[in-house]
Amino acid sequence: MSDIFLAGVGGQGIITASRIIGDAALLAGKNVLLSETHGMAQRGGSVVCTARIGDAHGALILDGRADVILGFELLETLRALPKASRSAAVISSNETIVPLSVSTQKLHYPTLEEAKEEILKAAGKLLFVDARKLAAESGVPMSSNVVMIGALAGSGCTGLPKAEFARAVELNITRKVSENITAFNRGFDEARSLSL
Amino acid sequence: MERILTARAGERILLLGNEAIVRGALEAGVAVASTYPGTPASEIGDTFARVAKDAGIYFEYSTNEMVATEIAIGAAASGVRAITSMKHVGLNVAADALLTFAYTGTRGGFVLVTADDPSCHSSQNEQDNRYYALLGGIPLLEPSSPQECYEMTKKAFEISEQLELPVIVRTTTRVSHVRGPVVVEEIVPGPKKKEFVKDPKRFVTVPAVARERHLVLLERLKQAEDRAERSEFNRTIKVEGGGKLGIITSSVAADYALDAASELKLSVDVLKLGFSHPLPRKMVSNFLKEHTVVAVVEELEPVVETQVRAICQHSSINTKIVGKDDGALPRAYEFDQSIVAAGLAWAFDLKAPEMPLPEKAEDLPVRPPVLCAGCPHSATYFAVNKATNRKAIFASDIGCYTLGVSPPYSAADLLVCMGSSVGTAGGLAKVNDLPIIAFIGDSTFYHAGIPGLINAVHQGHKFLLMILDNRTTAMTGHQPHPGSCKMPGGEKLTEVPIENVVKGCGVKWMKIVDPYDVELTTETVKDALAQPGVSVIIARRECALVAERNAIDAILAKQYIDQEACKKCRTCVDKFQCPAISSIDKVQSIDDELCAGCGVCAQVCPHNAIKEAKK
Repeated sequence: MSDIFLAGVGGQGIITASRIIGDAALLAGKNVLLSETHGMAQRGGSVVCTARIGDAHGALILDGRADVILGFELLETLRALPKASRSAAVISSNETIVPLSVSTQKLHYPTLEEAKEEILKAAGKLLFVDARKLAAESGVPMSSNVVMIGALAGSGCTGLPKAEFARAVELNITRKVSENITAFNRGFDEARSLSL
Repeated sequence: MERILTARAGERILLLGNEAIVRGALEAGVAVASTYPGTPASEIGDTFARVAKDAGIYFEYSTNEMVATEIAIGAAASGVRAITSMKHVGLNVAADALLTFAYTGTRGGFVLVTADDPSCHSSQNEQDNRYYALLGGIPLLEPSSPQECYEMTKKAFEISEQLELPVIVRTTTRVSHVRGPVVVEEIVPGPKKKEFVKDPKRFVTVPAVARERHLVLLERLKQAEDRAERSEFNRTIKVEGGGKLGIITSSVAADYALDAASELKLSVDVLKLGFSHPLPRKMVSNFLKEHTVVAVVEELEPVVETQVRAICQHSSINTKIVGKDDGALPRAYEFDQSIVAAGLAWAFDLKAPEMPLPEKAEDLPVRPPVLCAGCPHSATYFAVNKATNRKAIFASDIGCYTLGVSPPYSAADLLVCMGSSVGTAGGLAKVNDLPIIAFIGDSTFYHAGIPGLINAVHQGHKFLLMILDNRTTAMTGHQPHPGSCKMPGGEKLTEVPIENVVKGCGVKWMKIVDPYDVELTTETVKDALAQPGVSVIIARRECALVAERNAIDAILAKQYIDQEACKKCRTCVDKFQCPAISSIDKVQSIDDELCAGCGVCAQVCPHNAIKEAKK
């Protein structure tokens, strides 16, 4: 069993990312359940998805049970921390999308250092990925989500082979496929080089 | 072509619950499909919209759920298979048609999918639509997974034809929006045309016919119960060898019960009901007799629980029943594994399961959904607040624009359902001195706003109706509506312009404005409020997301804040709202990437500090 909790902001391609995980699991002959947030939350609100690889019945992940937090935005990674198990790996983009509440209620958006401290208090391992930069360098600036999938694959946390992940990217991304595979590989190498 | 259409028999594909419903219907040879979009049901219609042409079937986005249901009734009464889908509250709109169709019964398989929304993730209530099955005498199937969505939808057509009754397939958000593997069979196209055979003594429900048909319905329900007794969807699952403890459960709660039973290391028998109305009373009765304690695990209302208790009374069974009645399980909000585990621990007198304590999240800045950058509704709300100085009562409606309830606009004071802005505005106007302004979206206006407007004209109510016309059904994923001229795939539709409808309703004063023109909109609102009766403003501007996607006027002109001219008055963040504008450490700025180039903020700034960026 591997329980992955995905968190980010509406419009970041999180549902697509979860579908890639789902197809990768299926291609590897595993069972998988994904739950998705649709509708209201997508208007720039917080979005979460779950991916449970293995023979679970319910698709939801309880607090303290996620093996991996895959965060697409720094603040949303922090918001997802209650889901992390003590030994969880947190793989998070360092991208920041400042919510309107910071402006209107004069709130503080956490710094990378503060975030790091909070994450390590809650979970076992941490990897920040400069997903936006790696996506842009691959020629697909909108594909941070694919970079993050690469990092998840590279981390080895799911137990799924790289080839299945790459094939799943091709199944779900129809435009600029080779650039997206590059983005996937950049994410993969990033996680590998840090030997999470 | 879509994988959902090309997948061959035996293939295992990843499908959303809603997509699996479509595949099931296609394999059953459905001829006609209809919907009015609404979360969490929208992807059923959207998937039909994508595949209908290639699959050779008819699909439409109907004006509302009642019309959608009637379209399917017309087809199924003629003898072909038909399906209609809607969110739970949509069935309130469609109920008038459905409940009497149960009397006439159907010839071709008729399936109505209702997607309920426990926890109100994107709804105004969390009503339990299983009651409609009981209310109408309609067989009910409750899938819990994508595989079951597929299997039950397919089977529902057969059940419907055999019993000659409509069948309800009821999902919830966690069934419709869960994606999982589905093993499919072959798509076998069914007949697309059938001539309606006249039979007014069955299909024309004048009182004499209705009285007869009610008896027929009651007889058919007995047959339906027999069918439920034999249904493969009602089965007992033994966990850890089973034992004297039992669980009766349905829908996604069954999955949580199975996870929770493993977690608690329970030896328990789980009776999972997929064909849950009519309740297979013999099966349930036997299950009760074989167990000493039975927990009934179902989300929302105690629909099965109440019937189970009645069976105990009827058959003098002493089995202890535990459920919502004793507070073991809650009647509000969706379940998860931990809620069910706690309920089972209570029911079976076990130590409550140990759940790891979550690391308490710090107080993080919230991120609720907001109106998008460039959203025309934002501009409209700013103008209305300016025109009224916020001294007005706002009757709101269902759509993206409901988000205007939050500051800085606070532009919603009363909202109950689709179309309610128009009707409630009339009532508000009768008893309030403040001006009344009703806001309704274009799709919602066609859906349920028109009778309210006719009423307002006819009765002489005095209020301003603002139709926020962004040319699409935005909230649910940009589906077309009667103001659209084509389907997503390009097929032509006949546009029914809103202004023609408004004029046809007898409205004497109507103006059309571009909300991006803040001053014109503000002045028009002032004029409208000075009118003696009902006045209508159509605030027309394409949804910013669609405009961006289609590159229609997408980037008028990106803006920036001239920091030297900025007087730090915060008007752009305190009175206006745009995700592209932030104020951090007392510096207001515009994110160039997020800016949609609508130029509204430049009109909002009282110091002319927001300027067009050089291209």
